[in-house]
Amino acid sequence: MYQSFIGLEIHIQLLTRTKVFCGCRSAFGEEPNTNVCPVCLGYPGVLPTLNAEAIRMAYVVARTLNCELAEYSLFERKNYYYPDLPKNYQISQYAAPLGRGGYLDIEFHGKRKRVGIHEVHLEEDAGKMIHAGDMSLLDYNRAGTPLLEIVTEPDMEIGDEAELLLQQFRRMVRYLGVCDGNMEEGSMRCDANVSVNRHGQGLGSKVEIKNLNSSRFVRKALNHEIARQEEILSHGGTIPQETRLWNENRDLTETMRTKESAHDYRYFPEPDLPPFTTTAQFLGAVEASLVELPLERRDRFIEQYDLATHQADFLTEERPLADYFEAAVEHGAEAHAAATWLAADVRKMLNRRRIEVQDSPLTPKRLAELLQLLAESRIHGKIAKQTLGEIFETGRDPLEIIRENGWEQITDPATLSEYVDQVLARHPKAVQQVRDGDSKPIGFLVGQVMKASSGRAEPRAVQELIIAKLELKVVQVLSFGGAISGVRRADGLVEPGDLVSLGELFAQDGFADSVRFDELHLGRFLSEEITPQDWAILLSEVASRLQTGAADGIVIAHGTDTLSYTASLLYWCFADTSAPIVLTASVLPHDKPGEEPHPHSDALRNLKAAVRKAMSGEPGVHVIYGDADFSPLNLKFEGLLPFSAPSRAHEAAGRKGAVGDRGAAESAAAGALSLGRFRNWNMESPVYRGRPISREIGELPRAELTRKLEQAVRSVFIAKVFPGMQGDTLIALMNAGVRYFILELFDTGTANLRETPYSLRKAFQHGEQAGALFFCTSQQEIAVDFSEYVTGHELWREGAIPMGRLTTESVYTRLLAALMVAENDDELVKLMED
Amino acid sequence: MSYWNRVLHDARRREAYTKFVRTQDAGLGAFLEFDPARRLDPPLAEHADPGDVSYAGSVSRARSRGAAAGGETPESALAGVPFAVKDNIAVAGFNLTCASRILEELQSPYTATAVRRMEAAGARVVGKTNLDEFGMGSSTDNSALGVTHNPYDHTRVAGGSSGGSAAAVAAGLVPVALGSDTGGSVRQPASFCGVYGLKPTYGAVSRYGLVAFASSLDVVGVCARELSPLQAVFNVIRGLDERDHTSQEPVSGPSAKVSVVGVLTGLQGLDPAVRAAYERTVEYLQGLGYALREVELSTLKYVVPAYYTIATAEASANLARYNGVRYGLRPERAENPDELVRIARDEGLGPEVKLRILLGTYVLRSGFQDQYYLRAQRIRTAIRNELARAFDNVQAILTPTVPVLPFAHGEGELTAFQQKLADIFTATASLAGIPALSVPCESTTGGLPVGMQLLAPAFAEERLFAVAGRLAEAAGERGLVARPENYPPLPDWAAAKGYELDWS
Repeated sequence: MYQSFIGLEIHIQLLTRTKVFCGCRSAFGEEPNTNVCPVCLGYPGVLPTLNAEAIRMAYVVARTLNCELAEYSLFERKNYYYPDLPKNYQISQYAAPLGRGGYLDIEFHGKRKRVGIHEVHLEEDAGKMIHAGDMSLLDYNRAGTPLLEIVTEPDMEIGDEAELLLQQFRRMVRYLGVCDGNMEEGSMRCDANVSVNRHGQGLGSKVEIKNLNSSRFVRKALNHEIARQEEILSHGGTIPQETRLWNENRDLTETMRTKESAHDYRYFPEPDLPPFTTTAQFLGAVEASLVELPLERRDRFIEQYDLATHQADFLTEERPLADYFEAAVEHGAEAHAAATWLAADVRKMLNRRRIEVQDSPLTPKRLAELLQLLAESRIHGKIAKQTLGEIFETGRDPLEIIRENGWEQITDPATLSEYVDQVLARHPKAVQQVRDGDSKPIGFLVGQVMKASSGRAEPRAVQELIIAKLELKVVQVLSFGGAISGVRRADGLVEPGDLVSLGELFAQDGFADSVRFDELHLGRFLSEEITPQDWAILLSEVASRLQTGAADGIVIAHGTDTLSYTASLLYWCFADTSAPIVLTASVLPHDKPGEEPHPHSDALRNLKAAVRKAMSGEPGVHVIYGDADFSPLNLKFEGLLPFSAPSRAHEAAGRKGAVGDRGAAESAAAGALSLGRFRNWNMESPVYRGRPISREIGELPRAELTRKLEQAVRSVFIAKVFPGMQGDTLIALMNAGVRYFILELFDTGTANLRETPYSLRKAFQHGEQAGALFFCTSQQEIAVDFSEYVTGHELWREGAIPMGRLTTESVYTRLLAALMVAENDDELVKLMED
Repeated sequence: MSYWNRVLHDARRREAYTKFVRTQDAGLGAFLEFDPARRLDPPLAEHADPGDVSYAGSVSRARSRGAAAGGETPESALAGVPFAVKDNIAVAGFNLTCASRILEELQSPYTATAVRRMEAAGARVVGKTNLDEFGMGSSTDNSALGVTHNPYDHTRVAGGSSGGSAAAVAAGLVPVALGSDTGGSVRQPASFCGVYGLKPTYGAVSRYGLVAFASSLDVVGVCARELSPLQAVFNVIRGLDERDHTSQEPVSGPSAKVSVVGVLTGLQGLDPAVRAAYERTVEYLQGLGYALREVELSTLKYVVPAYYTIATAEASANLARYNGVRYGLRPERAENPDELVRIARDEGLGPEVKLRILLGTYVLRSGFQDQYYLRAQRIRTAIRNELARAFDNVQAILTPTVPVLPFAHGEGELTAFQQKLADIFTATASLAGIPALSVPCESTTGGLPVGMQLLAPAFAEERLFAVAGRLAEAAGERGLVARPENYPPLPDWAAAKGYELDWS
């Protein structure tokens, strides 16, 4: 087993107005040799003068990287010959750099790591030499640009970490306003050092990699180089200390120079510059330049504004946008709405016009005003979008635009009430339908009011008014297959049945009219026959009922075997629901046709308990089984007891264990029947509510939802690792179109990676090429964090994503939900790790 | 002084003056370039001010003394005065050859701070003087561009490296000249040419525009025949310059008063004439009422090796920029950039310069720094400390400037190595960064001048002027400062040539 050590040398050009040692403008992309003077051209007799802005920025970066700041930092001459270096030495720092011993924290796939910062030092950039035919041309505009070098400790292990650190560092310097972080233009550059050795033997020979013009190349080059060195070492070879170049066309590294030809830079203190000594005033200016960093700000946004991680990530990626967002909130915009609009409609407008939000006619105040008008229902969504366009077009205030165009909605209850009364009176048939439990005509009635008011009535208020006037307070029960709504045939086998007939039994039980049974017209099926289309129908039905307010609670009667999938899927889509969504199931159907109810059937009992939960108004997604209220996440259907032996169920239910057992235990105590055994894995306390993966999922049109779900399901495969499993099998699956694997591993995340046909390593490597992702869960009830074993660590190195405490079923449905909304894999991984 | 203020006043006088200098310098070789007309109206702001290149350090920085500050007033002692500038100090419009082939064609695009300050006070640059290539030498024989003789004896050297400046002043061609002093390059030729030579405190005068040889030792110095113009020049050029972070305003504190003068004990290897002059000067000092106290400098024997280690180390970096790429000698053809640089340096640099670059590169090699460069720095600290201790008891120290008399051209009399050993007294002040003044003393041997060096603590230049002034008064009666016989003063020359110079 090998160990790898990665350190980075990052150079950033500081955004000072002038060069670091002279008064020339420091600018990119101007006519060659126009920003030059005797000093930066290295004329005889000139002297460097230290740029105050540059040294301040340098200390600000060092401070932000948690470095110990040198009270006394020394400039030195680094001697080397190159025609683009005017003095043939570079003024740099060596023995006493301005910052030392800092760190930067990164987190890759659940593994948080503190990467040490060895030092931070200030130096000057060189010019550029361009070879053109038989000529060599020199441009000294860049010569003397302040350059800050940041050297990390060799604390990283894989290219992915280096890429992440670089991205994080880039955001940081952009936030600080000290560098634009453009790797293509070279205002940020990175060389990487890597050394590979047998585990536990410390650092091996250091190999430096140059020509890394993007953070992606840094990752690719390092991972390539680590593999190359491991290959050599495993064949008994040795790694020479050398400098290699990344060849981006061939995706490999090539020797540039070996140690023997390494430079002797003959450092010595720069006699032209006295050591820089910090004063209280200077340090005060450094402190004053510090800003809240992207990660801190992201965490604060999540906390303070209750945003999802991916929303906060988007908002805090660039400082101007984050500032803009907060300014809008300060002006009264609701945070969620502002985040959503900025990520979607506003972003589209900006992209089309190629401007930045801070430069657009849409001031934070205008956005806030627009969103307030929307929140107060003075305009509806479509009008809001039109108004947004007008703001960009004319640069005027939203209210002004709306007034002028007569776009304001009618929200006055008295006026709306008149419209509603007229419409209800005119459509008695629809009203009757709704009263009979069919919620569909509500939409029709709303539409009629809209028509009557020439589209100016506020739809949500209209809907609320209709519901109020019809006094609809209902719990809707949806049948979604399973024994609970099944019937036992004459031959003893269970087949899909009719829940409505079951519901008829409720009448005697004092349940009010307000309990309404709805067949979803899913056809009769057993829960093991669920298809993506069935889920799509369920999701959109639930969404529309929640949206129309036509249900105060929803009960879903389900089969036991796939309950844990549907329950978690509903959670990922509706975790923030305020109306309870309650799933329930039974082991036995209520009865055989034309016979007495089965004495051991739990169908009616569970359904009643579920309806009671739904009527209780307790928000969130619940799974009612027996007397227990299980979490929809991490639900495991652990057993099924033959109805002839209920006593064993009692024994099982009495077993001490995780939270889910609580309900079983209680029901056992109550002497009730519990023929199936559910349990929540890895849970200290049940979770019913939370943040959904996305609020948009339920709002998608049913056809699109179906299409997306089908597409998602096709790209996913759940693989349980087992002794003898071969990596090639997974590769075959990839070739068949699988891009997302859920690997159910052993323990805290282990699998065979030893170099045999049974190793999964090949599959991972193939996966990296093929763009496949591996989400890892455990076969045991334990969190996967790759913490325990070497093989787990190797999996992490190969890029496998640990899913922590989540069970395979919950990860699968989460993946489906995430796939429906993520625009790319980066976003997907964020949604999965959130 | 009075006539010097008017030499450039109008075209007629300028012409006479020009003719005078050209005639006199024909056999002397002090100037590499001479043209009094060129900078009669110097542009006072030659390039934009450094703008925001302001120093954020802890040292509080006074406002930049631009051309306007300390402005040109009719009363200025330097108004209208011509002065010469060593050709390693930048003056726009003039060459900046450093007496090297590699920079033979280089016109300076800018002007040194010291020169700008002189011009702001009304003085005018009339020409550039010869030197040892890049200031490396003690004879000016290392110039690639001309030979300079000692005005007292043309078979002998004027000293170096500011040989041209000292000779021009000694010959009466200019009243004052700027030179540069790294290890004695102003004081040694001043001593050889019988003029005053001041090496100010390191940092007292801006080095901006002085071509670096050894940056931690280099200072702009002054040669003058008389003390008062020398003082006037020093007062004009000194002080903080935004363009030189090693420059400083004078440290307040050191009193100008001198009552006790240190005298070196255990002096060895002195030319008998130098020893005699030293002893006589000591007697004069005693006669003038100074108390004398013996000073022993145990570090003296380490001065020359330490000096050459540090100076060559810094030179190896400072001279690396001369590669023929951006300016200077460039070969007609080269296969690649590396070859271009190699040919330019091979053809453009003289042997002494190459030797020192190689030495400097050697002592800076990684793994050898502790043995050479860092060790030399430790010695430098020890020397500085020992001198500081000595100044606890004395206000000034008297040493010979050079242990030898002006030597003959070539290496026949003094080899290049012996010439380096002769830097012992001057390099001491250089390593310590303290001010030193070479004072011309009574010439005793074959009419060759001898100089004595006065040392004072940092920024106590006034003490040097005080003691030198007293010595001059005392010696004035005895004619301490002789004039070389073959160089009549300008009025005498004009009268002899039939020029009428109207000084009214």
